[in-house]
Amino acid sequence: MASTSVLANVPHGPSKSSKAGFVPYIFLAPGFLLFLLTIIYPIFRALQISFYNWGVFPGSPSTFVGLHQYVREMHDPVFWRALENAAVYMVFTVPLQIIFGLAVAMLLVRKIPGRGLFRALFYIPVVTSWVVVSLLFKFLFSTDAGFVNWVLHSFLHLSSHNIGWLDTRWPSMITIGILGVWKGVGWSMLIFLAALMGVPDSLTEAAAIDGAGPWRSFFSVTLPSIRLTLSFVTIMLVIGSLNVFTSAFIMTGGGPQQQTEVVLSYMYHQAFQFLDFGYGSALAFTLAIIVFGISFVQMRLFRGGVTRVVR
Amino acid sequence: MTKGKGSLWAKRSVALLAIGSLVSMFGVVSNADASSGKKVTITFWTSYSTSETPTLEQTLIPAFEKANPNITVKHVVFSHDDLYQKLLTSAMTNTLPDVVRSDLPWVPTFAQGKVFAQLDGKMAGFDKLAKTVYPGTLSTNYYGGHYYGLPLDTNTRVMFANMDAFAKAGITTVPKTFADMLADAPLLKAQGIYLYGDGGTGGWNVLPWIWSAGGAITNSTNTTAKGYINGAKTVSAIQFLADLYKAGAIPDSMLGASGGMSTYDGVAKGNYAMTLDGPWMNPIWGGGYPNFHPVEALVPAGAGGSSSVVGGEDINITAQSKNKPAAMAFVRFMLSKSAQVAMTKAGQLSVLSALSKQVTAIHPYYATFLKQLGTAKARTPVPNYSKIDSIIGTEVAAAMSGKVTAQAAMDEAAAQIEPLLK
Amino acid sequence: MIVGSKKRQITFRVLRYVTLIVGAAIMIIPFLYLFATSFKPQLYLFEIPPQFIPKHPTLSNYTDAWTSNSFGHYFANSVFVSVISTVFAALLSAMMAYAFARFNFKGQNIMFWLLLVGLMVPGMMLLIPQYLLANQLHLINSLIGLILFYVATNLAFNTFLLRGFFEEIPWELEEAMIMDGAGAFRRFWRLILPLSRPALATVGIFTFLACWDEYVWALTIINDPDKRTLPIAISVFQGQHLTNWGLVFAASTIAIVPVIVVFALFQRQFIRGLSADALKG
Repeated sequence: MASTSVLANVPHGPSKSSKAGFVPYIFLAPGFLLFLLTIIYPIFRALQISFYNWGVFPGSPSTFVGLHQYVREMHDPVFWRALENAAVYMVFTVPLQIIFGLAVAMLLVRKIPGRGLFRALFYIPVVTSWVVVSLLFKFLFSTDAGFVNWVLHSFLHLSSHNIGWLDTRWPSMITIGILGVWKGVGWSMLIFLAALMGVPDSLTEAAAIDGAGPWRSFFSVTLPSIRLTLSFVTIMLVIGSLNVFTSAFIMTGGGPQQQTEVVLSYMYHQAFQFLDFGYGSALAFTLAIIVFGISFVQMRLFRGGVTRVVR
Repeated sequence: MTKGKGSLWAKRSVALLAIGSLVSMFGVVSNADASSGKKVTITFWTSYSTSETPTLEQTLIPAFEKANPNITVKHVVFSHDDLYQKLLTSAMTNTLPDVVRSDLPWVPTFAQGKVFAQLDGKMAGFDKLAKTVYPGTLSTNYYGGHYYGLPLDTNTRVMFANMDAFAKAGITTVPKTFADMLADAPLLKAQGIYLYGDGGTGGWNVLPWIWSAGGAITNSTNTTAKGYINGAKTVSAIQFLADLYKAGAIPDSMLGASGGMSTYDGVAKGNYAMTLDGPWMNPIWGGGYPNFHPVEALVPAGAGGSSSVVGGEDINITAQSKNKPAAMAFVRFMLSKSAQVAMTKAGQLSVLSALSKQVTAIHPYYATFLKQLGTAKARTPVPNYSKIDSIIGTEVAAAMSGKVTAQAAMDEAAAQIEPLLK
Repeated sequence: MIVGSKKRQITFRVLRYVTLIVGAAIMIIPFLYLFATSFKPQLYLFEIPPQFIPKHPTLSNYTDAWTSNSFGHYFANSVFVSVISTVFAALLSAMMAYAFARFNFKGQNIMFWLLLVGLMVPGMMLLIPQYLLANQLHLINSLIGLILFYVATNLAFNTFLLRGFFEEIPWELEEAMIMDGAGAFRRFWRLILPLSRPALATVGIFTFLACWDEYVWALTIINDPDKRTLPIAISVFQGQHLTNWGLVFAASTIAIVPVIVVFALFQRQFIRGLSADALKG
């Protein structure tokens, strides 16, 4: 085979070849077929189920109800509350994870003694399972004998009484949010750390010579050069926060009186407690569309960011 | 027939006979396969706790397998909530086990879905067994004219009191009536003690109060809730709870606050003076708080006397089971006196009425439970019970917190429950 | 440089350490409390003030957790499923990422958007359809069923991460191999994969963690106790009538330790893997 024909079948560097033939498909086939079968096909099944009053048991009838489940959703106050709670969780956790994660990454980007240890300590919550940390935080934040109330009330005297962290809606959402931030800071720290290590020292040094203080240097040099990573982290965190489930489910179970339901915990209750899989699927599908819409807008806002980071 | 032909016929018939007997021999062999020769394994799903599992696995199953050498029993334990989800999903795909120990409210749901097999008229010895168990427990298996299981163990909620907590407020006897409770509440509150702790406002939690006040959720045939759940007597029970909550006698944890102390820890530590709970609490407290000695008493009486809610588990055979004869043998075994006595020792109160004397000898505290069971009632046995339960939970909590009046909350509950009974 | 900045530098360094120590303490104190609680009998769980060194330490939670059911067996299942899933998820997503990074082909855009959809869709929503699918494929109650779906779930994110990394690999290196007559597969296997070890370590850790912690799917498709994984075993300790915190936390400690070990082992590679800088270092 002539070397030219070999070259014709392969990409030419950064500007890729458009005559790749079947080769890329061979690379794609095993993974993508599995993905189509186990992820994309079930998505369509879920969509289909959301158009039915779905009979769970074999032989029990399923009746086609069209968009009824979606109409029902619009009139369901618990759904709106669940959506609001998920949105509040997002607004609370995403900025804090980015700010704290970036701050810790900035502190750890230079070689300092103990850097590896600090990185590991901040990362341990990330590698621990959601189930374990949710149980742990429920224990720590319990009202009468919880560690947190002991610190605030008896040790620091910041509070005159034991706070019912998990007893009413907003304190519960804050507690679930605190867990989200605590568990997530390590993840964003790590991604930022990787990006910051890619920022050439020469850039910040040049800024320093120009007389820029640390703050100005941060905003005019560091931040722009990690813009792509920032957009990636934001999009991933937004997706993750709207899909919050395990922590809310374990810590409050949606209670009291469904005040702290998030969309997925409400979906779980509808499907697995009330056997209303049609409605459950409609709830999940609505959430997926919302997440997709928000991500799409974000990608437009960040423009270059996404084509570079995600695409 | 000619002779020759006849002899030929005779020869043939001998041959046929021989073949026939061979066939019937095989027939016998294969019959033996099904009943005693072939080994079968039946699977049994439960949510037994870590203190009950050893009795089942180390005593009962070996005894059953010894008596039935061709049957192997495979026990699989899940947590309570996980078991319900497993039953749902497995029912969809024909991967259910042969035998299930199910929580009472699940049975109508799975009976309606034809997930559990009908036992009356299908299982040898069913009628006889049905007569040996408490009638109230048997009824939890009844759906649409048939029985879809048998009761396996029973319980109810009685009062557990921490007398040290009462003593701190200068009270020496447990409250016997609603009025006693209202009188005790401020005395305990002055000592920083809640009178009554509970973990929720669902049916399991509030039905004893509703029934003791003389109220009800539905009519006796479970076809309507209007005039029952929002009737004057039911509303008075909810008002009673709301009054106690307002007086600081009930912690927020009953309203679904997740941060509060469980009744398990709260009563043992003296933060709550009393709760209502089942007989499993005695061994659990014995393990975790060996120095705490709860006092059991009947649910305080209201206008309707003292009434509580029937709990327990049923044992059901799945419609999908391919080993129904073996499964039925196992069910009969689990309801035998020896098996029931063994489980009673482990904390699972027997459903056999003939054992009522014996069980109090095993654990004296069972006496209170047996007495309470005399007036206890079952939760509404309808397939939509889990939804009804959730509505009760939400509306009672709303009334207790004072957001709406007890009457308004129960009217709302009635409106929501009504279509679920159709 | 400037004389006055010396003092400022020292102040800055002290501040940096104080901030880091406070932050790290917040991260780690809950775990210390979990660890301490796992040695406490139920009676002493709610002691005020909280005890970080148990007054009445006991190992019974650990012995109970380990001996009840077959905790050791579940542990082995978890290791098996997580390791196999991680290897396949890394390999399959690397292949996909290579195609996206180095080729233009028909359907590229739509395939990328589909992967993106896979990243956004809540996993809970797919539970029922996936379960029905697993049943059609006869994968109920099998570890292969766990592995197949774990691999699939992790493909999208891994592919995005690896693609970004592969694009940073200088094309000249591949060109040199093409001159020697190497085909795409050889370049992938001999050049791209070895150069991407840090990135592979990263996706490996992410995938391993996800599989190690997965609970709902494992609960749904596994019926046989012999095939259970650790998270299900832990959930059994959450009783209907009470949570035995000491037991739950002892079991959790047993489950956390391997994860921390894996992370500690691959930590350096892990961070490099996320960094475009990796190739230069």
